[in-house]
Amino acid sequence: MSEISGRRASMLRQWPLLVPQDLHGRVYDGFLSLQDKDFRLRIILPSDLQLKNAKIQCSWPLKNALQGYEPILKQRLQQSSHLPSFMMELKTILEAALKNTNALQIPPAPQYYSCLVKDIEELGWDKLSFVDTDFSTIQLKVEDSSGREHLITLRFTARYPNEAPDCSVDLPVPFSISWTPKSSLCNIVNQVEATLESLKDFWDTLDEIDKKTWVLEPEKPTRSSTMRRIALGSNVSITIDLDPRHPTMLPECYFLGADHVVNPLREKLNCNIDLWDPENGLLQNLKDVLEIDFPLRSNLEKADFSMDCGICYSYRLESAIPDQVCDDPRCGQPFHQACLYEWLRGLPSSRQSFNVMYGECPYCNKPITLKLSTKRS
Amino acid sequence: MQRTLRFKRELQLLTAEPPPGITCWQHEDKTDDLRAQIVGGSGSPYEGGIFTLEIIIPERYPFEPPKISFLTPIYHPNIDSAGRICLDILKLPPKGAWRPALNISTVLTSIQLLMSEPNPDDPLMADISSEFKYNRTVFVSNARKWTEQHAMAKLQATKADSKENAIPTGGTSQKRKGEDVSRGPKKSFK
Repeated sequence: MSEISGRRASMLRQWPLLVPQDLHGRVYDGFLSLQDKDFRLRIILPSDLQLKNAKIQCSWPLKNALQGYEPILKQRLQQSSHLPSFMMELKTILEAALKNTNALQIPPAPQYYSCLVKDIEELGWDKLSFVDTDFSTIQLKVEDSSGREHLITLRFTARYPNEAPDCSVDLPVPFSISWTPKSSLCNIVNQVEATLESLKDFWDTLDEIDKKTWVLEPEKPTRSSTMRRIALGSNVSITIDLDPRHPTMLPECYFLGADHVVNPLREKLNCNIDLWDPENGLLQNLKDVLEIDFPLRSNLEKADFSMDCGICYSYRLESAIPDQVCDDPRCGQPFHQACLYEWLRGLPSSRQSFNVMYGECPYCNKPITLKLSTKRS
Repeated sequence: MQRTLRFKRELQLLTAEPPPGITCWQHEDKTDDLRAQIVGGSGSPYEGGIFTLEIIIPERYPFEPPKISFLTPIYHPNIDSAGRICLDILKLPPKGAWRPALNISTVLTSIQLLMSEPNPDDPLMADISSEFKYNRTVFVSNARKWTEQHAMAKLQATKADSKENAIPTGGTSQKRKGEDVSRGPKKSFK
């Protein structure tokens, strides 16, 4: 008995905000204080006072903070011999949990905002292209000397300007800013602009490639991308990977395509390699060395596919048009009767009843029915 | 009829918008024989290699899947020593998952994905598969060696070595049906 009352006394000493609710010390209710915050909780012990069968009821903020830590809590409950030691464990877990959640972070001091606004003012508000709702991420746009627009994404910590913001720019080279507590956004912009200037030749080179050749890959190149796959003719391409610091030097390259077309090109590249002159620009050099003209993007009409049959990829099949349509509104794929019949009849999942065929749409797998006209059965 | 229409259309599409890292062309202007090249995915042991494939368009295409096999030797749990590929979309239902909604371009893209992410639970090469499952570093180094030996020969030729060119670029483009010459050295990797 004295042991139990001793434990109760130690609970009261260490956790004065957690008040026993009954004579036997089976129910505790109150608060756990941590980092200037009070978390309401209620602990209900079973009649034998064994912790492993205890129930812990948490208020919503506490439950939220402990989300994902439930297995650890359960394990600690199993291992703790008495309530005071478990409470210590709970406090440690909560401390760790709070460290990992941003939800409970206090907003930055007013100076943070005034400093940031002052910085932006100095820079000019027209440079600002995006601000998030917390005012913790902003995007600035800058133009390089060739008129290309670049975005600087800045993420601030609450300790700005004492702590450098996290700065990311779409660049092909590693980039980090140097920062002192006296620096401002203007310093960052200047540093970025200097880097942009050093990459001017690289982007000029790639812009020329993008404009004057048929680039197959990447579809929408980012400013950081150093690779281009360029069409050389039907189904033959060269892939080049530029060194952003030396854009007009011979890039790493390889060919894709049939041997009888690629081999002569490769031979030319090997024979004419001495003609490569970094003064001439990459595209001109490639032309000289490979002795070819780069084809321009072929104007293959991107005919509206949506009308064509999903099986034969055409509109007219002999004289028929795709008159069978998948009923599922999200699919709506049209088919020729003959094409759909030919596909469905080979499948064990299809069945035919008189002149109606039941099966699955080859595009969306939803049930599809096909009425067979009498001439074809 | 469907085959001709569709084949023409697919060729146009493969020329105008080839999938990333893949090229495909008609072999000697035949209408049932295509060749394709897949660039080994970065981060995979096939990185830096160029793998040539043979694509036979069957008479009943697109009601039957194209028959695709690797011509370039590749060390992979789902691709056997004859270059045959174990992939569900290359077989007809009910065993497989071919549908006319797929095409040469999407199938090649799937093969490219299979290269990066082998499926050891449906193996074609049991020993490579168990190596992939239980001894990943050995698998990666073997696959890497094969890539360097068989799929990168063409790249070396680019490096201004005209002697390299004199040797016909056999390894990668020759059919290897029944011929086991190029397969000789692989045993030593085990």
